[in-house]
Amino acid sequence: MNDMRLIERAVDMNDIKISARNVQVYYGDNHAIKDVDVDIADKTVTAFIGPSGCGKSTFLRTLNRMNDTIASCRVEGKILIDQEDIYDPRVDPVQLRAKVGMVFQKPNPFPKSIYDNVAYGPKIHGLARSKADLDEIVERALRRGAIWDEVKDRLHSPGTGLSGGQQQRLCIARAVATEPEVLLMDEPCSALDPIATAQVEELIDELRQSYSVVIVTHSMQQAARVSQKTAFFHLGNMVEYDETGKIFTNPEDPRTESYISGRIG
Amino acid sequence: MNEQHIASAYDRDLDAIQAMIIKMGGLVEAAIIDGTKSLETRDVELAEKVRAGDKVIDDLEERINEEAARTIALRAPVSKDLRIILSVLKLAASLERVGDYAKNIAKRTSVLAEMRPITGSDATLRRMGREVQMMLKDTLDAFIHRDAKLAEDVLMRDQDVDQMYNALFREFLTHMMEDPRNITACMHLHFIAKNVERMGDLVTNMAEQVVYLTTGSMPEENRPKGDRTSYISSSKPE
Repeated sequence: MNDMRLIERAVDMNDIKISARNVQVYYGDNHAIKDVDVDIADKTVTAFIGPSGCGKSTFLRTLNRMNDTIASCRVEGKILIDQEDIYDPRVDPVQLRAKVGMVFQKPNPFPKSIYDNVAYGPKIHGLARSKADLDEIVERALRRGAIWDEVKDRLHSPGTGLSGGQQQRLCIARAVATEPEVLLMDEPCSALDPIATAQVEELIDELRQSYSVVIVTHSMQQAARVSQKTAFFHLGNMVEYDETGKIFTNPEDPRTESYISGRIG
Repeated sequence: MNEQHIASAYDRDLDAIQAMIIKMGGLVEAAIIDGTKSLETRDVELAEKVRAGDKVIDDLEERINEEAARTIALRAPVSKDLRIILSVLKLAASLERVGDYAKNIAKRTSVLAEMRPITGSDATLRRMGREVQMMLKDTLDAFIHRDAKLAEDVLMRDQDVDQMYNALFREFLTHMMEDPRNITACMHLHFIAKNVERMGDLVTNMAEQVVYLTTGSMPEENRPKGDRTSYISSSKPE
């Protein structure tokens, strides 16, 4: 009937954005991530699922070195983005995080205006040469965040005055304002109602055109809806990584089967 | 793998829907046995019982469809659970059809009871019916025990049914050519034979569905097929 949809769903595994090899993460003595190998494709939504404490968020946070902020945390192994080792001492984590944006569970706009929320990143990274330039960047980011129409008449009112779903889309706009190449999302919808969730999911699907999106979610249905590839984590191991349709219809590993079908893992 | 869902009511939903398939299967098995038996013994009363019993089978199919739709809507089943739902829908549709064929045999029995018998055919038809019923029984067992091997075995047996049908087809042609007064009875008997042969095909589909349910993929399409009647010329039967 509509084979465009099949082409749309296809993932080009030759176009790898992120490569992780033998990744281990320790929190003190606790071995939180064990030997994870994964290739994450560009222009693809990749979902990490798994029970609480399985390491999916920890692994996500290794991808933009957010774990650097935790003193007891140690990362071993290699993580390459565009073939470059992001743990190389020469890499500036601040620059890295401009390239690898992140959206968190709870919308966390700065206590500033909507405009300034989005303009902040481009300003500190020197992406705008003039006020007009910055205006353009802000509008483009807000449009990509699918929130422009709702806020264009009140750009200078506080971002915290928006609804939860709008705040989250504002945070996504803020994340894309620095023109990242990878967008990490840690449970971006868990604080949102179903309509706001649907809007954010629609947005994720659009963002896929431009970015490699990696999303951690507790909602398996959300992983099924938005992602093309799914990785299942369990007790610090990446148990299975495959095309999302395959994971949800016929997973290889019995642990994946148990988890996705709502049995005890 | 853990067999139980955290939500135990989900398990009860899935168990209930599968129990309905088993019940439906049992009724259809009985309809095949009684239908062919009523034919052999020209037992009009038993035939009437088979005709009346089909209503129960049809109602069960409807309930299975409703329960399956409900489970999809409320539980969003995935993986093995999804395959259970997809499979019960197909199994129920096939069982309903097999039940219809059994009913049709019973209907023709009342007509045939008024005619003189055609030698030999009743016993073959009963054996055919028996074979299909055994295939169905094994398919249902394979469904209950998630036994892909047993289901695969059923797939191989459909050709025996086809061969019995081939033999009957030739026999009926011979009878009709020998004596035109046999034509009415032979026409009815041929439809019966064809119905039993179709039952075999449907049971084969069901067995394939059980393989899919158990393994996650359909069996490869290389099973032997035995229905050659499409190529038999009516003018010169051997």
